[in-house]
Amino acid sequence: MANFLKRIKQRLSLIAALIVLSLLVVSCAGPTFQGWSGFAASDGVLYFGGIDGKVYAISPTARSQNLNFPSQGEWVFNIPSFGAPGSICGPACAPASAQVSTYATPVVVGNLVCVGIYAGDKGKLIAIDRLAPGYTEGVPLRSKGEWTYPSGTKSIGAIVGTPVVAEGTIYIGTSDGKLYAIDPVYGEKKWEFDTGGKIWTSPAVEGGVVYISNYNRKLFAASRTDGTQIWQTELPSSISSSPVVSGNNIYVGTFDNHLYAIDKTNGKEVWNFEGGNWFWPTPIVKDGAVYAGCLDNKLYAIDAGSGKELWQFIADGPIVSEPVLTDSSVVIASKAGDIYVLDSGKGDLVKSIHIGFPVMAPLFLEGNMLYVHAGSLCVYGIDVVSGEKAWEFCYSSIE
Amino acid sequence: MADIWNTIILEPVLNSLIALTNVLGGSFGLAIIVLTVVVRLALFPLTVRQTQSTKAMQTLQPKIQEIQKKYAKDQQKLQQEMMKLYKEAGINPLGCLWPMLIQLPIWIALYQSIMQALAATPESLLSLSQHLYSWAAVGHAIPLSDKFLWLNLSRPDPNLILAILVGGTMWVQQKMVTPPAADPRQRSMTNLTTTMMPLMFGLFTLSFPSGLALYWVVSNIIGIVIQYFVSGGWGYLRTPTAPKPPTVEKVIPAQKAPVVQPSKTLQKAAEESKTLKKASDEKKRGLFGR
Repeated sequence: MANFLKRIKQRLSLIAALIVLSLLVVSCAGPTFQGWSGFAASDGVLYFGGIDGKVYAISPTARSQNLNFPSQGEWVFNIPSFGAPGSICGPACAPASAQVSTYATPVVVGNLVCVGIYAGDKGKLIAIDRLAPGYTEGVPLRSKGEWTYPSGTKSIGAIVGTPVVAEGTIYIGTSDGKLYAIDPVYGEKKWEFDTGGKIWTSPAVEGGVVYISNYNRKLFAASRTDGTQIWQTELPSSISSSPVVSGNNIYVGTFDNHLYAIDKTNGKEVWNFEGGNWFWPTPIVKDGAVYAGCLDNKLYAIDAGSGKELWQFIADGPIVSEPVLTDSSVVIASKAGDIYVLDSGKGDLVKSIHIGFPVMAPLFLEGNMLYVHAGSLCVYGIDVVSGEKAWEFCYSSIE
Repeated sequence: MADIWNTIILEPVLNSLIALTNVLGGSFGLAIIVLTVVVRLALFPLTVRQTQSTKAMQTLQPKIQEIQKKYAKDQQKLQQEMMKLYKEAGINPLGCLWPMLIQLPIWIALYQSIMQALAATPESLLSLSQHLYSWAAVGHAIPLSDKFLWLNLSRPDPNLILAILVGGTMWVQQKMVTPPAADPRQRSMTNLTTTMMPLMFGLFTLSFPSGLALYWVVSNIIGIVIQYFVSGGWGYLRTPTAPKPPTVEKVIPAQKAPVVQPSKTLQKAAEESKTLKKASDEKKRGLFGR
């Protein structure tokens, strides 16, 4: 009996030790980050940040012809490490070297493509020559106009929200709670505005005002010229989606499952609408309707003036990526890996295309071609009219 | 299976932790401390039962060893005698295992909840959305602030303070419950375990989110307090040396101390006398230094 008991105890201890070790391993794997960059386009080239910590320039024409990568105008750029800590795990289970990724969609400014970098706690905005990157050993080539902000080994908070470019200035929010206005020619800071809370969303710019939200439940309006605060408002919960401005309202989703319309002149609530989960992707507004994707698997069409629901469409997974609009339809993607083309007036399903891999990056539409960056480390070119997959480019297979 | 686990165990703990954060003014660090205390208090009867069962089993060890030695060649008789012994002592040999088994899933859920709730990356924040209740207190607390004292709860503590606290408290707790082994080989193995585990967790603290390390520290401290009051003292923490194996078997066969044989040599007598003193001290103090 004693031996039996001893054996049970030994086995239990072994099981407990194995559980603890598995938890440690799982918890190490959990907090690693991949990114979900969307696309910027210029002169027939698409720019996006890969899940593998690289920036790609691909030509849809070359991809549709299945030419070898890189063909004319295409390149791949390894994001330089800048001494930021990698995942939260150190020697116990994962390399402590800097892991970098991109959640922010790149923006094109003149001959530069600007990419916001996420590296755990730290981040950086880097400008790359969009014709051919000139960086040498991680140092930008000034003669090509390249720069990083901040320069050298310095860093700012990690960048998750996409930068916005307006009239010669880049506006970017970072996880250290600051909104920066950057000069795109020299990569120098024009001003900064401290919101006092983590920023994982994009700013919205309209007229002379830049709007930014943080994870301390606040929405700010600041002057575009010098970053002085115009107003701030506190919502019942923190803001999950990036703000979008249309007409007299700003539309934002919150972590208490609501979508709010806020008066852009004073920050007062106009209406709110309750969903079944977070309104995570940035809503889009057209013809008096707000199209808001939600993590409860639904796309809601809401009357922009009254906040009343017009229709809803249920997808087969949470809607994480930002939808796009054509003349008569709204295109959404689900995390489950399906693309839906819906009639924007009634919400009827026009077409669905099965990708089979999670889609979290914002969708990008150019003419009839929809570009999708999926979790399979592949980019898909889809004709939204025919519903056919025109081409696919899997950058994981590039040697 | 994962869905059942999430629904029944993980999500209630996770949502309670987040709602508690909201109640405590948005301090996730404080919520970790309070929930750890609450869970340990809820499991207090089980912990006491486990401690008492372990203590009772340890008290019986000399008798068990004696029976094992006596009936080494007759397994059937050995089993019968062991059962008889447990029956006489009123001990259920599996009594110390059930509380451990019941507590294990709760600890795992608490551990997972802390990791989930911290949502250190955009992906983990997204994943969190699928495990939350539609309680207003939960929605208002998300995303949690990761600042607590000098710590960023979603990152490792850059100082050594938390690592020392985790390692130190774990070492004290282990020392309190681990009896010094009689066999030298077993003793070195025990020493290795009681040293290696705290050292390992101390090192993990340097790599893991400090929210998790905070939970380890609080859990260890509560464990020490429970152990202290249930067992009535610092236990084996104050018993640095082990009794010598053969003499122990002779000296503590039952509740009364044996009589020293006059025919023994001086050297042997001195040795036995020393052991007797130890045994007597131990008896006076009780197994946990009462």
